[in-house]
Amino acid sequence: MTFLVKRLMVLAVTLFVVSFVVFLIPYLTPGDPARKILRARVGDLDADPEALAGLRETYGLDRPLLVQYGDWLGGALRGDLGLSYTSRTPVVDMLGGALTVTAVLAISTLLLALLVAVPLGSLAAVRRGTPVDTAITTVTQAFVAVPEYWLAPVLVLVFSLQLGVLPSAGWEGPASMVLPCLTLALRPMSYFTQVTRASMIDVLGSPHITAARARGLGFGATMLRHGVRNALLPVLTLFSLWLAGLLGGSVVVEVIFSIPGMGRLLYESVVNNDVPAIQAGIVSLVGLAVLITTLTDVVHAWVNPTVRAPHVSG
Amino acid sequence: MSLADTPHPAHPVRPGGPVHPGGPAPGAEAAPVAERGTGPRRWPPSLLVGTFLTGAILLVLLLTPWLAPHDPAAQDLAQRLAPPSGSHPLGTDQLGRDVLSRIMDGGRFSVSIAAITLVICAVSGTLIGMVAARRGGALDEFVMRVTDVLLAFPEIIVAMFLVAVLGANYLTLIVALVIGGWTPFARLARSLTLEINARDFIEAARALGCSRRFIVLRHVLPNALSPLLAHAALRFGHKLITVGALSFLGLGVQPPDADWGSMLADGQPYLTQAPGLVVHPGLAIFVTALGVTLIGQGIDTRRKAKEL
Repeated sequence: MTFLVKRLMVLAVTLFVVSFVVFLIPYLTPGDPARKILRARVGDLDADPEALAGLRETYGLDRPLLVQYGDWLGGALRGDLGLSYTSRTPVVDMLGGALTVTAVLAISTLLLALLVAVPLGSLAAVRRGTPVDTAITTVTQAFVAVPEYWLAPVLVLVFSLQLGVLPSAGWEGPASMVLPCLTLALRPMSYFTQVTRASMIDVLGSPHITAARARGLGFGATMLRHGVRNALLPVLTLFSLWLAGLLGGSVVVEVIFSIPGMGRLLYESVVNNDVPAIQAGIVSLVGLAVLITTLTDVVHAWVNPTVRAPHVSG
Repeated sequence: MSLADTPHPAHPVRPGGPVHPGGPAPGAEAAPVAERGTGPRRWPPSLLVGTFLTGAILLVLLLTPWLAPHDPAAQDLAQRLAPPSGSHPLGTDQLGRDVLSRIMDGGRFSVSIAAITLVICAVSGTLIGMVAARRGGALDEFVMRVTDVLLAFPEIIVAMFLVAVLGANYLTLIVALVIGGWTPFARLARSLTLEINARDFIEAARALGCSRRFIVLRHVLPNALSPLLAHAALRFGHKLITVGALSFLGLGVQPPDADWGSMLADGQPYLTQAPGLVVHPGLAIFVTALGVTLIGQGIDTRRKAKEL
């Protein structure tokens, strides 16, 4: 229980610090926010002083910093993160759809990675030291070095332009998900395979496997009931870490395949200097990432009580 | 070194047993190394291959001004998108520039940024992590919470944002990649230091009256060095790919300069006519990242072999 309370307090403090840093973004950057808004909207470098004053009034830019922060945080908690500088629509409306798209992309990517990695890693562990193991280990380790902005065009070239079987861009229907998921899945697949292998080797060396085999349980049944099940915990921990990472880490793939997700939204708002959209995007992504990792920690502690001990958890 | 007689708690020696039907006994990976009597001095294949690859690439990048067959910026519009030939081994791009020369020249930007940020991250992270672990208490707690917050920010988005605000240049890219980049090193250095601190030889050194600084420099650092080096090498590929991604998005290197990421982006419209424009710079990133990653894996394998 104290573990849970401690984690929740850390979560609250982290979110508070993050929100303050994100709030400060327009003030950390050189230049007058009002001028930036005007430039973003009309592309006019010589701003009209009256228009600037009007903007300061509308967006409350002339009040003390802490007052503005309180206002902004209160708004954020009520789901009001301001109007986009460029489209003048509430940024919260832009977020919902984009978050769903990115979440679907990230989860399907990781499920695909898991689907390949768990059997592959288990096979490598069971055949440890043989050429099969060496082949699996070497190839999956090399996957880490593949840049996704290279894999994506190569896959498009083969499957869209030459074979013509899959769409090269967009986000409509399952067919359009194949190439982005494949591109993104390569690196998590590599890590999942390595962790499954290491964890399976660990589990296979433990006495309960020997005991199960000695009782006459078949090899396959031992692996399924006693091997994979016990080896999966580290893999699932890694899964949730990757989920948190992929939510903000799929920018390049979303841009390449023109997927209307969080990555592309953030990329476009950064390019257009749309501060409220940047703030909203970062706050929601970082908030989600912190929530996911906290949840992982809590579940982990619940499953494995030794984690709860204060001197181990830090 | 005292590592040889104190097994690493994370990799305990497993007793052999009939648990690997169809496979050799556990510990098979390390066994041949020990049997040959050359002990841990033997380099695992990944370390050999990685060192060779990385060395070759570094040599080519250093000697580019003399090795490059053409001026990387020289345009020849009559020779646009030419296929590979004797004078242009990898063909030419949309402006008739020699692709091989451009890849050799573009590598200097990507690789140097990745290397510089990595060194800064590794040194500062190690220092912070070790101090946090040695001092403990509130400082330790503070450092860990800061890394928590920083780890929550996706690296590429922080970098994107900083570049958009401060402008794309060498320094901005380095700052952007260092902001969150030191945290994994701090966490690793901290946990290694805590582990080493609990060993008997630290207690012995303290009892002998060694100063704190002496203990850190002569006992903690040497024992933590190999895992930290392996981690640094494993992070290099990640850094290189991130630098390339920023350039790919137009937020890294700015024209007329080019690097592998920006060349890849520039080649996209010509994917069907000249796929080499996209494939070759990507291969350059892959091979370089792979070379250094292999070094990291090699160091790791060697350390585990030593400990068994």
